[in-house]
Amino acid sequence: MKVASQTLSYLLPILYLAVIYIYYIIFTGKKKSWTHKTTLFLGILLIIHGIDIGLRHAVLKSIPLSTIHDALSFLAFSILFVYMIIELRLKIRGSGIFILFFAFILELISSFNLSWEVETNELLTSPTFALHASLSIMGYTAMSLSTLYAIMYIIQNHNLKKRNLGKLFNQLPALSFLEKMSIQSAFIGIILLGIGLLLGHIQAEAIMGEFWPNDMKVIATDIVWALYLTGYIIAQYLRLHGKKMAYLSIAGYFILVVGGFMIVYLTETFHEFN
Amino acid sequence: MGDIQDSHIALGVLGVSHKTASVEIRELVSLNEEEQKGIIKKITEDFDVNGIEVQGILILSTCNRTEFYISAEKPDIILPALKQMLATYKKCPYYTDGNITYEKFGSDAVSHFYNVICGIDSQIVGEMQITGQVKDCYNFAHHLDATDAVLNKLYNFGMQVKKKVRNETFLSDGTVSVSFAGVELARKIFGDLADKRILLVGAGKTAELAAVHFLENNVKAINVANRTLSKAEELAKKFGGKAFTLGELNTALEETDIVISATSSDNYVITNSMMKEIIRKKYYESIFLIDLAIPRDIDPKIEDLNNVYLYNLDDLNGIVEQNLEKRRMEIPKASKIVEEYLDEFKSWVSTNSMATIIGKLKSHFEKLHHNEMNRMRKQFPENGYQKELDNYTQNVINKLVRQHMKSLKKNAGDPEKYKQHIDLIYNLYEIDLDK
Repeated sequence: MKVASQTLSYLLPILYLAVIYIYYIIFTGKKKSWTHKTTLFLGILLIIHGIDIGLRHAVLKSIPLSTIHDALSFLAFSILFVYMIIELRLKIRGSGIFILFFAFILELISSFNLSWEVETNELLTSPTFALHASLSIMGYTAMSLSTLYAIMYIIQNHNLKKRNLGKLFNQLPALSFLEKMSIQSAFIGIILLGIGLLLGHIQAEAIMGEFWPNDMKVIATDIVWALYLTGYIIAQYLRLHGKKMAYLSIAGYFILVVGGFMIVYLTETFHEFN
Repeated sequence: MGDIQDSHIALGVLGVSHKTASVEIRELVSLNEEEQKGIIKKITEDFDVNGIEVQGILILSTCNRTEFYISAEKPDIILPALKQMLATYKKCPYYTDGNITYEKFGSDAVSHFYNVICGIDSQIVGEMQITGQVKDCYNFAHHLDATDAVLNKLYNFGMQVKKKVRNETFLSDGTVSVSFAGVELARKIFGDLADKRILLVGAGKTAELAAVHFLENNVKAINVANRTLSKAEELAKKFGGKAFTLGELNTALEETDIVISATSSDNYVITNSMMKEIIRKKYYESIFLIDLAIPRDIDPKIEDLNNVYLYNLDDLNGIVEQNLEKRRMEIPKASKIVEEYLDEFKSWVSTNSMATIIGKLKSHFEKLHHNEMNRMRKQFPENGYQKELDNYTQNVINKLVRQHMKSLKKNAGDPEKYKQHIDLIYNLYEIDLDK
C-alpha cells in the first residue's frame, strides 16, 4: 500500500501536466474536437487524486492533513473539484489552464515532500480536527479561486482596453462572469475559513482550556482573516467594481497566504503542522 | 477498390458564382422554384444527348451562385447541351459564355460540392447559410424524384463533411459582421445581455440596424436619444423603449449599459467630463460604448476611465478582418477533410455507382459472350450464321443490362433497396468487386 501511495504521489504531477496539455491545446485553438473532452479528463484526474488521498489516509492511519505538504495537495484537489463544478455548470473552459497550472504547482511542491510515517498524534483522529482542517483548506481553496478569477479579470480587462482580441481574449470568460466568480468565491472562502478557525478555537479550548490561545500563528491568522472580512464588507458597502475589486481581492489573498506562510516558518508556535 | 479514375465518377457541375460573375449577371442566371422545377422536369424527362441520359440533377440557386450538378454517364457531353438548353429556357446568353460559367467533372466536381457545402468556396469564408441552401436544393430535387444514387451519396457525404469541418476546425467561428462584432464584444464584457439596457444616440438607420442584433439577444430595453424628439419617439416605439432628447442624455446614460452612437454631429455628443460624472453615479458599473459615427460622437479620452469600454468603427472593422483572417487560416484543415471524403466518395463510386455496376456487368456478359462464341466457332467452324448469332446474343446482353439499369434506377432513391440490388448482382453473377 505504501509503495502504491508513493508511486501515485510521484505520478500525480505528471498526470496534472497531461491534463494541462489538453487545456493548452484548447486554449491555443489547435484542436477544436478536444474541447468537449476536458471535463472527462479532469474527472479522471480528480478520481486519481482522490484515490491518492485515500491511500495516504490508509497508510498514515489518519486524515492526511497533518503536514503543510498534505494540506497543499488537499488544496490542489479541492481547487480542481470546485473548478470542475464551474466547468460543468457554465461550459466555459478558457480559464482551466490557469487554474490547473496553479493546482499543479501546489501538487508539485507537495508530491516530493511527503512523509509516509504512520501518524501517532491522537488529535489528528478527532472529527473536530478533521472538520477544522478540511474547512480551513476549503476556505483557502475558495480564496485561491477568487484570486485567480481576479487575475483573469485584470488580464481580460487589459485585453479589452488595449484591443488585444486574440486567442487569450477569446478563451477567457466575460468580465462580468470573472468578477462575479471572484466576489462569490471570496465570500464562500471567508465563511468556510471562518467556520474552520472557529472550530480550531473550540478544539483549543477542549485541549488547552483556552478559547484564544496565546499563540502568534493563531492570533495572526485570526487578524488576517478579520482584515480580509473587513476588506470584503467595505468593498461591498462602497460598491467597488471591476479592477479595484480585483486588485483588492489579490492583495487580500497575498496578505492571507504569504502572511500565513511567513508566520508558520518564522515564528515558534504550538500550532505546528507536524 | 479505393482508387478510381476521375472519368468513372459520372458527375459534372456547371456553375456561375461570385468568383466568375458580377451580382447583375448572377441575378440574371438565378432560378426561382418554378423555373427550377421546369428545368428538372425537362432534363429528367426528355433530355437526351446522343443517347446519353441524365440520371440525376441538383440545382443550387442562391444570391452568390447558380449551379447544376449532373449525374450522367458522360457529363462532358451533357453539359454543353445543357448550357444551350438553359440559354434558350431562360433567354439568357450568359449560360453559354465560357468566361462566366465554369464546368468541373469527376472528382473536381465532387470536391467543389464539398467546398461549397462547408463554406470554403463562399464569398465570406465559412458562412454557414449555404448549408441550409444546399439542404433545400437537395430536398427539392429529391422530392421531384430527380436524384439518383450518385447524387444521394454525394449529398450524404456532403453533410458529413460539413459536420466534421464545423466540429474540428474554426472555419465558421468568430463574427464577420461589424454590427454583430459589437454584440460579441458586449458579451465579453457583460456575459448574458438579457438584463442589459441599450441607448441609441441618433435615430438614423445605422443605429437602428446595429440595435437589431442586440434585440435578437433579448436585451432588457432599447431607448433612443436624438436631437429631434419626434424621431427618437418613432424609433423608440419600434423597440418598445423610451425616447430622450440630446439635452436629456445624462439622464438616459445613467440607466444604460450599452451605448450605440451614430449621429451626424460635428462635435462630441458624449464628452469625457460627462462620462466621468455618469460612471461615478453608476458606482463604476461597466459601460460599453460603440461609436459608429464619422466624425466620432464620443470623446476618445473616456477610454481611460475605469470600467468604460469604447470601440469605434475602425476597431469593429479590425475585429471582422481579424476573424476573416482566422477563418482563411483554417482553410487547409477544412480542405484536408474535404479530401478525406473525396476518397470515401471515390471508394463508394468504385463499387456502388450505377455506371460502375453497369460497366462491370457489361464486361462480365461480354466476357461470357466472347468465350461462348469462341467455343462455338471451334465446335462449328463451318456455321454460316456466326455473325447473326453474334448480333443476336449482343442484343440479349443489352436487354439484360438495360433491365438491371431500369431496376437500379427505380431503387436509386432508396439506399437500402439500391444496396440490396447491387449485392444481388454481385452475388448472382459472381462479379469481383476489386477488379
